[in-house]
Amino acid sequence: MSQFEFLRSVPFGQYLPVGSILHRLDPRARMVAFTIIILALTFSRSLMGLLIGCAVVLVGLRVGKIPYRFAFQGLLPPLPFLFLLAILQIFLNASPPNESILAVIGPVRITLSDLAAGAKLLIRFTGLILGIGLATYTISTGEMTQGLNVMFRPLAKMGLPAQDLVMMAQVTLRFLPLLAQTAERIAKSQASRGADWDSRPGNLIARVRQVIPVIVPLFLSSLHRAENMALAMDARAYGSSVQRTSLVELRLKAADGLLLGISFLAGAAILILK
Amino acid sequence: MTALIALDKVTFSYDGDPKNPHPALKDVSLQFHEGEFAVILGANGSGKTTLARHLNGLLIPTQGQVTVTNLDTRDRSCHGIIRQRVGMVFQHPEDQIVATTVEEDVAFGPENLGLPPSEIRQRVDAAIEAVGLEAHRHRPPHMLSAGQMQRLALAGVLAMRPRVVVFDEATTMLDPAGRRMALALMSELRAAGMAVLFVTHNMEEAALADRAVVLSNGSVVFDGTPRELFRKQSLEDWGLEPPPVVELGGQLRHVFPHLPEDLLTVEELLGSLPSPQRPCEPPEYISDGGADQQEREWVIEVQELNHTYMLGTPLAHLALQNASLQVAAGRAHALVGVTGSGKSTLLQHLNGILRPQAGKVRVGPYQLDDPAVSTRQVIRLAGLVMQNPESQFFEQFVGDEIAYGPRQLGCDEPLVSRVRWAMEQVGLDFLAFKDRFTDTLSGGEKRKVALASILAIKPRILLLDEPTAGLDPRSRKEVLLTLRRMVNEGMEIVLSSHQMEDVAILAHDLTAFRKGRNALQGMAADVFWQFEAVRELGLEPPVAALVAARLRTLGWGVPSRVITAELLLDHLERCVEVQGEPV
Repeated sequence: MSQFEFLRSVPFGQYLPVGSILHRLDPRARMVAFTIIILALTFSRSLMGLLIGCAVVLVGLRVGKIPYRFAFQGLLPPLPFLFLLAILQIFLNASPPNESILAVIGPVRITLSDLAAGAKLLIRFTGLILGIGLATYTISTGEMTQGLNVMFRPLAKMGLPAQDLVMMAQVTLRFLPLLAQTAERIAKSQASRGADWDSRPGNLIARVRQVIPVIVPLFLSSLHRAENMALAMDARAYGSSVQRTSLVELRLKAADGLLLGISFLAGAAILILK
Repeated sequence: MTALIALDKVTFSYDGDPKNPHPALKDVSLQFHEGEFAVILGANGSGKTTLARHLNGLLIPTQGQVTVTNLDTRDRSCHGIIRQRVGMVFQHPEDQIVATTVEEDVAFGPENLGLPPSEIRQRVDAAIEAVGLEAHRHRPPHMLSAGQMQRLALAGVLAMRPRVVVFDEATTMLDPAGRRMALALMSELRAAGMAVLFVTHNMEEAALADRAVVLSNGSVVFDGTPRELFRKQSLEDWGLEPPPVVELGGQLRHVFPHLPEDLLTVEELLGSLPSPQRPCEPPEYISDGGADQQEREWVIEVQELNHTYMLGTPLAHLALQNASLQVAAGRAHALVGVTGSGKSTLLQHLNGILRPQAGKVRVGPYQLDDPAVSTRQVIRLAGLVMQNPESQFFEQFVGDEIAYGPRQLGCDEPLVSRVRWAMEQVGLDFLAFKDRFTDTLSGGEKRKVALASILAIKPRILLLDEPTAGLDPRSRKEVLLTLRRMVNEGMEIVLSSHQMEDVAILAHDLTAFRKGRNALQGMAADVFWQFEAVRELGLEPPVAALVAARLRTLGWGVPSRVITAELLLDHLERCVEVQGEPV
């Protein structure tokens, strides 16, 4: 693995065009379904519900043909942090007074519900990270903008520049991988000129000095790019017609309804089951 | 015939002041017609891009008038129609792609025109098919090669069904194969009845057009056929160079006075070469000391190197596979191959910023698979100048930019004298340039500063990734001369290039790559004379080699393995003395 592969750490635009059934459904249905599951996972208070949520996400990954190994890689970086949080949770949880005590560490009495609280935190975040991953792997930014375009249409009727906002989001998302690639090229180039990325100078000024050779060219090249992009958009008649149309006409089909139905049921199960 | 686009006394200055003494365009009157294929030529800063941007109303003249199919570009309400009729493909492939998949990007223009979805679908399919990107329609654009991105940009324009397509230096960033593809697409557009206006400084490409318009300092200085243009003596004053074929033809005329003056293509030149009075059996070539290969000292050795980007993700792609390379002391080695064949990846292994995933790389005394070898040790020995290095400048002044390397790595002499030395190496005057702003330099000067900023580290080996890419003809020549001198002084150089003419001048040895594997390897002269094998890799052998081969079959005593014009003329002059005047 190279220290210069910045693209690897850009979570956006990590869309995986593997062409599963999930990928072919209506993007609006997918966006709503994932939102429901993610919200349910966030607010569920029962262990059972959280486990169901994780199971739903795992099934989703399988149906979306996302390799488990790849999906779980996203869990590794925050894992130590999550364990720390879970342990804190065990210590800080306020358990009901009449519960039996499992162990005593110093002044802290650990009960079953303390352990459950820690476990719940771990499971909740695992489910959330995998769920958000599933959404980014299966919804392309293009589909997202299509979906948003349609869903924002009522806002446009109210006079808000909804389409321009969606366009801005789209262009930003399109730029992120490019930015990562540019940063990579600049970092390599400056490393070839003796820039030192390995040592971490203590004081702030030295640190700023260290990143200037990357930040300045990155900033300048981004400005150039933005300028070029604006020209290219102008040259393709952006903004010259009152009503933009769209290549993709979204129509909800039976399968999309099925996905929505399943996600509602799963969401309810995650929230309600004890 | 009414003009498709008419410019009438157009003057333009970026500050909008009509009295600006140095406008970007000065009193330009031109007409372009339906179905025409014209090139717009000029050195950097001559105003050709400014002119191009007037053609579809991206810029509005300060004085004068531009009309597109009789619509004035000053009238903003016409911009939709004007931009539909005049499509434009830009220089930087990745900066003109808006959407996140190929298909949606092609749809962007028609969507802006407010067409119904079924019509858009039809146009998108037709445009994607026209540029041959069917297999990639759902891919994200940043996963495409530069050539593919440029085809995508063209598809986006074609989907608007334009009457004319303007290519604004659209081939500058492409490799020879990408250029050929782009040129083939241009002739298809013409066959379909569209006009093509091509802004370029590549003179070989200009030779293909029906009409050439030359700009110099914002004024039109020539408007005629390329054939007439290349005979002009003032070509050099306009910052242009004749294409290699024309240049070689001119040099050959000293030996063969009856050679026609208006030769434009390699085929024409080869077809008009004369036979000698007394034909002879042409000799085999003279070795340049390549025979004693066993006794050579290798400064760089690469064995069975593999590299995969994004290893361990579904986006992994193989860049190098069992690549091998040996660079001998005191020699220049060129890496050639189409874009994506692994040249840059290999170069980045030679100064340690990439480490071998599998295989061995030795640079001088350092084994790069040994983690104890630090990158900073290796970059002191082997300095890498990356592609378009001037886009990585971050200091305001030339002197500071060059001093960055030695300042970081330490320097055993006063910094000033090191910077002065580095600037002298690339032919920049220390006093005149050290306090210049980096962003006011010309393309060639910037490239030299980038070169000096690596030389200032005093590396033994110089690694160059496409050292002449993106430069206009004049700057390219300056940089080539500088590099040539360093090669002659015996510096070890490893360079990658798409310009076979440059490689022929600079390199002793050559490795050609195909899809990350070694395809051809040996002395540059030997490799280039395998004409079929070279062409099969998507590359074109140097013109001098083709001419030498043809002369040999005509019975001239030119040795084989000649790849430079210099050597060819040298031999030919002697041949004429022995074999008599050409018949």
